[in-house]
Amino acid sequence: MGDLILTMKGINKTFPGVHALNDVDFDLHRGEVHALMGENGAGKSTLMKVLTGIYKKDSGTITYEGKVVEFNNPREAQEAGIVIVHQELNFLGHLTVAQNIFIGREYMKGKTIDDARMIEESTRLFQRMNINIDPTEKMNNLTVGKQQMCEIAKAISHDAKIIVFDEPTAALTETEVDELFEIIRELKKKDIGIIYITHRIDEIKVITDRVSVMRDGKYIGTLISKDSTKDDIISMMVGRVIYEEPKTESKVPKDAPVVLKVENLNAGRSVQNISFELHKGEILGFAGLMGSGRTETARAIFGADPKESGDIYVNGTKVEIKSPQDAVIHGIGYLSEDRKRYGIVVQRTVSENSTMACLENFMNGFFINKKKENKETEKYVRSLAIKTPNIDQLVVDLSGGNQQKVVLTKWLVKNCDILIFDEPTRGIDVGAKSDIYKLMNELVKEGKSIIMISSELPEILRMSDRIIVMCEGRKSGELSIEEATQEKIMHLATMGN
Amino acid sequence: MPKNTHKSPGLSNRSIIQRLGGQNVVVFLIVVALLVFFSITSPNFRKYSTILSILDYSYYITLIAIGVTFPLITGGVDLSIGTGLICYSLVGGYLVVYQGWPVWAGMIVCVLSGAIIGLLNGILVGIMDLPPFLATLCTMMMTRGLGSIFSRGLGIPWPTAGTEGGWFRTIFKLNIEDLKLPLGFLWILLLVALMSYILNHTKTGRYVLAVGCNREATKLSGINIKTVYIKAYLISGIFAGLASIAYSAIFASVYPGTGAGFELEGIGGAIIGGVSMTGGVGSITGTLLGVFIICILKTGLPFIGLQANWQQIITGIVLITAVLIDLNRNKKKLKR
Amino acid sequence: MNKIKQNPLVKKIGFNRIVLCLVLLVMYGFFALFANNFVSYNRILSAMNYAYFLGFLALGVTFVIATGGIDFSIGPVMFCSAIMSGYLLTHYKWPLWICLIASIIIGMLYGTLNGYLVAYRNVPSFITSMAIMQISKGVASVFTKAQTVSWPQLAEENGWYRNFIKIKVGNTYFPVGFIILLVTAIICSIILNKTRAGRYFLCIGSNKEAVRLSGVNVKKWQMLAYIICGTMAGIAAIFFVAAYTTVQPGYGDQYNNEAIAGCVMGGTSMAGGLASISGTFIGVMIISILQEGILAIGLNKNYQLVITGLIVIVAVYMDVISRKRKV
Repeated sequence: MGDLILTMKGINKTFPGVHALNDVDFDLHRGEVHALMGENGAGKSTLMKVLTGIYKKDSGTITYEGKVVEFNNPREAQEAGIVIVHQELNFLGHLTVAQNIFIGREYMKGKTIDDARMIEESTRLFQRMNINIDPTEKMNNLTVGKQQMCEIAKAISHDAKIIVFDEPTAALTETEVDELFEIIRELKKKDIGIIYITHRIDEIKVITDRVSVMRDGKYIGTLISKDSTKDDIISMMVGRVIYEEPKTESKVPKDAPVVLKVENLNAGRSVQNISFELHKGEILGFAGLMGSGRTETARAIFGADPKESGDIYVNGTKVEIKSPQDAVIHGIGYLSEDRKRYGIVVQRTVSENSTMACLENFMNGFFINKKKENKETEKYVRSLAIKTPNIDQLVVDLSGGNQQKVVLTKWLVKNCDILIFDEPTRGIDVGAKSDIYKLMNELVKEGKSIIMISSELPEILRMSDRIIVMCEGRKSGELSIEEATQEKIMHLATMGN
Repeated sequence: MPKNTHKSPGLSNRSIIQRLGGQNVVVFLIVVALLVFFSITSPNFRKYSTILSILDYSYYITLIAIGVTFPLITGGVDLSIGTGLICYSLVGGYLVVYQGWPVWAGMIVCVLSGAIIGLLNGILVGIMDLPPFLATLCTMMMTRGLGSIFSRGLGIPWPTAGTEGGWFRTIFKLNIEDLKLPLGFLWILLLVALMSYILNHTKTGRYVLAVGCNREATKLSGINIKTVYIKAYLISGIFAGLASIAYSAIFASVYPGTGAGFELEGIGGAIIGGVSMTGGVGSITGTLLGVFIICILKTGLPFIGLQANWQQIITGIVLITAVLIDLNRNKKKLKR
Repeated sequence: MNKIKQNPLVKKIGFNRIVLCLVLLVMYGFFALFANNFVSYNRILSAMNYAYFLGFLALGVTFVIATGGIDFSIGPVMFCSAIMSGYLLTHYKWPLWICLIASIIIGMLYGTLNGYLVAYRNVPSFITSMAIMQISKGVASVFTKAQTVSWPQLAEENGWYRNFIKIKVGNTYFPVGFIILLVTAIICSIILNKTRAGRYFLCIGSNKEAVRLSGVNVKKWQMLAYIICGTMAGIAAIFFVAAYTTVQPGYGDQYNNEAIAGCVMGGTSMAGGLASISGTFIGVMIISILQEGILAIGLNKNYQLVITGLIVIVAVYMDVISRKRKV
């Protein structure tokens, strides 16, 4: 390990309503692989975005190669030698590997692009990295692993001194992971510093030198990888004091009927052979890290995305769900995690959004029975305590919490008995959060059944009767609320198979 | 670690069409098949005069198709090329016929007018961020009106072959004694080679492909995408200008109010030739072949008894089919 | 400016509508000053001739634009309906009332094809517009063997359809067409604002995915918008021939743009989700007066095309800017 190439000290970043980075420290040596771990929302991505100039920090210093720096945009960071290889690769699919690597800075022979030279340089680059890729192949035709290597090669060709990997192995096969690690070892030899964001604890000892953990925007600590244990890391990730009382036991009777049964659901890489049951009056928590496939599973059940195979039973009867229409007919409602894009029609009013799922019940012949619609809407505005000046208010003007309540109203008006909440309190302030929790508890008391997808462990522990944990598209475990702890959940969520 | 459900590493994701040698090969085979079909079903089709006919009427369509390939590759479209080419011909022709300008000057005016409207389109789309089909729909409307205004509502007869200014017609149709040579085809081939080179080997073309492929990634690479859009629409406009010359050279007169529908053949030809509506993919030779399919159909159908008007219907159906195929192709890609 | 906007009376009538009416009046005033004999009842009737068929086209396409799509095949479809049904009348001697219905049905069929391709096959609407534009021109041509079709005059046996436009009362004419268009506009407004279909159209145009995820069959409703549009084009055909008698295959394009211009001027957003029938109505009036006025001051029709094109560009640009600001 060489000398320090990067020091970040006392980094603070606030967004409206959330202190995303709270006095965070981080440093990196040349030739070191320094892992950065933490739950969703811990602040890892935000820290990297501050480093590369996508966000402007509120306070703190970044020292790079001995000088204090401040990057205003990713291009400046790139030119200085700091490059991110994102999880979602962003490349030009129809162009070739060589063309991608040199986009924007092509070698020219007069007015002509010197493709031959670019191919030559790329080949040399790949040889130096010990990678076997044909630079004349179109990016779209490569596997994800090879595409990623091209991104890395591009970074190196930009003379990168620091490369940030954001969940690099999430989409790779075992062989490809080994190949990636080989390349990382080569990069280390070249004194390139590597920041490695991952949730796979098993990788820490294999490829990293140190591991730092963040939690709720704070820097928790750093361990030397070879001296650390999995438990050490997990307890740093989750070791928070939970101020709310976690649920200690489930009140759902043991003989409660199964309202929803999912068997062998398959929908691409994110939903692999998922099976589970939902009981009447139960809140079934779905825990896991981002990208574990929970939203995809919910959408497949709801018919929003096509599925490859799998059976769904509602109240014991097998049902065919090919579109959201089918799901809604069978009494399933889905509250998307992206409320604004999928949950509400922003430019319409509260009342219009409330009846969206069953407008046919509010007809007077050909005309919409506005009176009935208003009455029903007002009923829920009162019972759910939706803060809005009137029901003709455009939903876009409501706060996040109240928008969520409108989405919920939509499904209650339709009388859905099975509700899937996807990140129900995301982007909602604390006061409204407890409102939502109260509502959920009331709903299950009335006999409805809830699946709650959440990335917030305290929320999972507070609300669920049972917990299913997903990891990389598979169900990695099931826990009752009595036996569940943050550590156990995180263990299951970070399992590599 | 999860097992990868994908195929073997490396060159794994080629579709059937790619395995057949690429879209161009498939389209070429269709061209050949059509020629064979018409030749067999109608003996009159096999004459040299028919080939001449196909070629003559293909020039102006091919030129606008080559031009519109660029906006299409960026993921946009240029609808003004049809009425546009008529407009530019009327403007240039008016100056030649009624103001006594020399023909070569008129030709330059044609191309310049196309360039101006092309630039306007580029600004509307690239800088003002208007949706391409709307912006070019408006310029389509405007060129229709402008052409008419300029020519005072009259049809313009460009000088005929044999008269003093008529030499420009020989650029496309060279008659040496009894031999009729479709010289225009030579220029088309040269232009195809030139534009193909520009698309694949210059920065302009490369960035057009990049922007159409992934606008964000291109922007992040530091490329000024506004200029890219402007260049793409400027090329389209210039080629509409060239097409107006070809049109004037082949037809005896140019009439205002015509031209709507040409853009369909140009765009349709490009899409059949492999340009994708979603952008990022396209080749000039493909466009050439695609336009040929349309032209052969246009000329060949009357030979098997279908009136010329069926050609409009067929073109419409062919366009929809080409787009459906293109959509299907992209759906397969997204499934990965 | 904002103070004016907040005034309760202004809010009730609608700021946009007021602006549009002002534009209409200013333009009328302009032509009244600069054109000969512009201020006369006959002039207005003449302008109205243009407004009726254009109005039906514009009302129809408003529904499509509300869903976030576009249809510029309406002009040629209108012509095709007029030509085919006219041919049935003049060549096959079918009864007039059947021909009128045929015109409407032909428009509806094109609309169905258009809607099916857009809603169920995901073909971009401007492609289907282009293709159907060509197809309808070709069909019209093939059907009549490329001949022009002339509908009967009022005095003739089958001429009573002309009463849809105006009825002679004593010495003057009563503009029946205006009443019919107005009533249709009111019906369209009711459909858009008070029925399920209209609600779905606007919501689909605003956020199609959110509507789909609410369990609504968006494909069905999206297609319906196009069917309405096509049907209106079929109705527009009747008003066109009642005013202008002759229809020729292969034409009709220019009316597309004017109909869309009327919508966009009237406040219908090209992005979808925002539509105003009354705005479209006034927009159509503006274009009709513009059209009449340009002829009256001696310029030819083509200036109007250029001006309309510019108006649409300005209107859409303002729409784009206002949307950017909202986000």
